[in-house]
Amino acid sequence: MKLACVIHRFGADIAGGSETHCRIIAERLASSHDVTILTSCAKDHVTWQNECPAGLSEVGPLHVLRFPVARTRSLERFAEISEDVFAGRASAADQERWFTENGPEVPELIRHLQQHGSEYDRILFWSYRYYPSFFGVPVVADRAVLVPTAEDDPLIRMEILARFFTLPAGYMFLTPEEADLIGERATGPLPPFCIIGSGLDPAPPQTDAVPLEPLGIADKFLLYLGRVDPNKGCETLLRYFLKVQTLDRPPVQLVMAGPANMEIPEHPLIKRLGFVDEPLRETLLSRASVLMMPSPFESLSLVLLEAWNHGLPALVNARCSVLKGQAVRANGALYYRRFEEFAACLDYLLTRPDLARRLGEQGLAYVNREYRWPQVMRKVEDFLTSAST
Amino acid sequence: MSAMNGPAVSVEALMRQIEDDLRLQLRTRILGRGGAKEYTDEQLFARVESILRRAVEEREQHSLLLPELLSDDQEWQLQTQVRFSSHRPILGKLIIAVKRRLLLPVSRWLYEYSFENFRRQQRVNVMLFACLEQLAIENARLCQEIEHLRKRAG
Repeated sequence: MKLACVIHRFGADIAGGSETHCRIIAERLASSHDVTILTSCAKDHVTWQNECPAGLSEVGPLHVLRFPVARTRSLERFAEISEDVFAGRASAADQERWFTENGPEVPELIRHLQQHGSEYDRILFWSYRYYPSFFGVPVVADRAVLVPTAEDDPLIRMEILARFFTLPAGYMFLTPEEADLIGERATGPLPPFCIIGSGLDPAPPQTDAVPLEPLGIADKFLLYLGRVDPNKGCETLLRYFLKVQTLDRPPVQLVMAGPANMEIPEHPLIKRLGFVDEPLRETLLSRASVLMMPSPFESLSLVLLEAWNHGLPALVNARCSVLKGQAVRANGALYYRRFEEFAACLDYLLTRPDLARRLGEQGLAYVNREYRWPQVMRKVEDFLTSAST
Repeated sequence: MSAMNGPAVSVEALMRQIEDDLRLQLRTRILGRGGAKEYTDEQLFARVESILRRAVEEREQHSLLLPELLSDDQEWQLQTQVRFSSHRPILGKLIIAVKRRLLLPVSRWLYEYSFENFRRQQRVNVMLFACLEQLAIENARLCQEIEHLRKRAG
């Protein structure tokens, strides 16, 4: 098949969740299909400044066709329209303008779809919230497969999306919760869909590639892995963690591994590592006692799957239905909504090592069952073949 | 791949146990502080907690009836956006540009400390709307049941 994958920015050095998901799926599809990536020249998801040359290039097995961004993002205009949209005061035209302001505005990509869309058997779009998907799906709706990477955040309630969600010819979802979310929002029945998640290779055996003691990391520690950001629930995590320390509990260290977009309090039991490379990341996942996943908005959470891939149990935010759903399906994590639940679950996981180990093993069994690459790509291939026009 | 040891653990069952333990602790604490004497009834407490929890956790402003019944959201909705406008047709654009460049950063700087409190108040308002609505639903349901029982009895 001749396939196109539309994504707002593309590159091996781009760390975003949907961008990575698109790249790793596209690379695997390219082993049996002719795959072209249609994307912008931007690398920075805040400004959308043109940084890569426009035009065609070959990246590994993929053809990559880049289109220039017409204008960088005005954060002021974007903040103003966002406030109106999320307060429910925006007209349909203003709601549509939100997607233009969110960008990256790539009118030439949309023109390419108008002129050449019919040359592709299937066009896969990642992430509904960006300009290329929002304006691209209607142009080639008969062959569009949307991977929405939707979260239960205020944007999903935008009125004009109710019709938009009925347009694609098919969907590839990351979790059953995401399918339910889009199904509830769409005005009509959903087109055919499948739930693919994302693939993982088996983790290497327990690794001590990087000694943790010189970094000041104790034997028993809680691990947060990812961007340290209030939107990821880190403020609440740190507040709850510090509150637990005031209770009569044995001390345990919290390791925050990831670039920080917020202040992390100075505390002898909080260890800040900043960005961590792959060997240290693997060591942390191998040696941690519990993975902390406080994010209220997730469409899949690869970090949670990686933790289970290492047999590591987790404590997740139940306000995120995806995380709670994954915890229950895998029987691999406990969940909390408020501080008392957070403290009680942490107690269970730290004071009952057999139970914690068992939850980790069940998480690993779940990953083996659902998230190995052969299973994931079989689902993708079967879906694209059955839905082929 | 590691072999599994020991019996399977059900996360849902474990969480039910944790939630039951916490509910018992909460009831004891509230009663100890002189809370409503009705809470000595364990089942009634569990019911009240469940109603309020559903209101707080499952209802959001966009799906509530009460805000729809209020006449105009401009009259009650907290407005947290700082916007500048001018009625002057010609000089207006220049004045707005100056206000945006000079006044807006100052206003934001002065306003920032209270912004979080406005957001919290907004959240509390939504939660109270949700609790009221949940209680209204429960009340309406009980009225329906009483009506139904009356009809059957009489």
